[in-house]
Amino acid sequence: MQLRLEGAEELSIPRERVYQLLTNPDFIARSLPDAQEVIVQSDGTVEAKIKVGISFVTANMQIKLKITDKVPNQHARLMAEGSGSGSTMKITSDFDLDGDRPTRMKWKADAEITGLMAGMGSSILKGFSEKKVREIFDGIKKAMEGQP
Amino acid sequence: MTASMESLFERAVNDLSRLTKITDEDRNLLEQVDQAANELVVSEFEKYIERKFNEKVPEVLKKYGLMGVPILKKYGGKGAKPLVHALSIERFGQVGLGVVTFIDVHQSLGSLTIQQWGNEEQKRRYLTKAASGETILAYALTEPEAGSDPASMKTSYRKEGNSYYITGSKYLISNGSVADSIVVFAYPEGQRKGMSAFIVDKKAAGFSVDMRLEEKMGLFTSDTSMLSFDNLQVSKDDVLGEEGKGLNVAYSALLNGRIGIASGCLGVMEDCLNQVKERTSTRVQHGKPIGKHQLVQRHIARIASNLESSRWLVYQTALKKEQYDGNMSELNLRGEVDRISAIAKYVASRAAFECADSAVQLFGGFGYSILSPVAKHLIDTRVARIYEGTDEIMELKVASTVLGREFEAYS
Repeated sequence: MQLRLEGAEELSIPRERVYQLLTNPDFIARSLPDAQEVIVQSDGTVEAKIKVGISFVTANMQIKLKITDKVPNQHARLMAEGSGSGSTMKITSDFDLDGDRPTRMKWKADAEITGLMAGMGSSILKGFSEKKVREIFDGIKKAMEGQP
Repeated sequence: MTASMESLFERAVNDLSRLTKITDEDRNLLEQVDQAANELVVSEFEKYIERKFNEKVPEVLKKYGLMGVPILKKYGGKGAKPLVHALSIERFGQVGLGVVTFIDVHQSLGSLTIQQWGNEEQKRRYLTKAASGETILAYALTEPEAGSDPASMKTSYRKEGNSYYITGSKYLISNGSVADSIVVFAYPEGQRKGMSAFIVDKKAAGFSVDMRLEEKMGLFTSDTSMLSFDNLQVSKDDVLGEEGKGLNVAYSALLNGRIGIASGCLGVMEDCLNQVKERTSTRVQHGKPIGKHQLVQRHIARIASNLESSRWLVYQTALKKEQYDGNMSELNLRGEVDRISAIAKYVASRAAFECADSAVQLFGGFGYSILSPVAKHLIDTRVARIYEGTDEIMELKVASTVLGREFEAYS
């Protein structure tokens, strides 16, 4: 099943700083929600065990994240792939930056989900994903704006 | 329409606008309904699993100004005509029959009944608050020993001067424990004729919620309660319609209610179709999407055909009701609406149950779990064949319109 989510955030910090953090594997690793074990590999790949919860369904997933397609201060892509508890997911997220103080970050995430979670249907998954993505971005925004 | 509005529903609205007048105002209203329905998906899913009343339903309806969709504008409602009201309930049916039940009881059985039978003072007092969402309405006819046969009702009232004292119990009352005002039916003490309708305030002394029925087979997000009245005092201002003519009030309410349930069942069928389309085109078995298997396609064809054949019947019923609303003294028209609303409810509820059964089948083992999007439809639509008139009562009603009143089997 395929899902698309998109949105935009406004950040009070300089665009250059937003880009630095967005493309920093350590920062991404710290921003992962419900992560149990996180390892940042030397090539920048982030490997983590995370708990993905959709209401009463919790999947323990092993995921790999990689930052690609970097265009300094303008664009970055975050590729995430994971599997576990009878489900798989592949998410491609694109981030586009413009403006400066405030920096506008437009994002778009395309997710491909299979297995048990996909069976719940896109309308339910979309509703939960929107809720979760909101939480993630609130966390990222707070972390970015709180960075020295 | 928003991009999120389900395509078949949008197509139906567009088709209807070629047959009858769907104004820009109607479309804007349906846009709001669409957004509210989308906002309820997650909470309805969670509450269904928790088996709890979804308190987000009144909250979201209130947020979008949708508590009073069919209530006249002068009382703060949207003034939607029966067809647009039916379309709004249909859209909420995609979220689930629990949402439909709340709305149908508050709007069709509660608000529209007060709107039809209430005096001006009652309309101002109850409809304005019902439209704003300040109050929730319920309708209490059924009793432990009186389901299809209201004549078996035991709830009675005693009249003393300008006051009435109601005693008895009402059972399986949707919105019962969350409602603020309830339309209650009772016979004069010691009699089995001359039923009257009253509007009862839940704060009145002698009112109690005896039981919240949580051990139901389904419909978990809808509140179902048993209410009791112990010498509950109401005044003559709380009599709805003419004293002794409560049966007319009760039946007119059920007529509106049936159109609402039939409309909700359309939404259920549409959701079943959307869900199986997604499931069968992505789930791979035997090396290909299961939708490429012919026996799977048969289920899909049945769901689509059930939806389409029920849809136009329900819309036709709503249009007839619209005609009747404009000419309530026309008894033949009333009979026609009574007949066709029974057929619509009978056909749509059975069709929805069959669609949900097919959808569960196509979801395979996962379909049997309430984590799937279709299991709740199968469990919930079963009650649509019982409440607001059982299949059998609908059949008898329809048969008697064919054979003549002298053949009425339930009188």
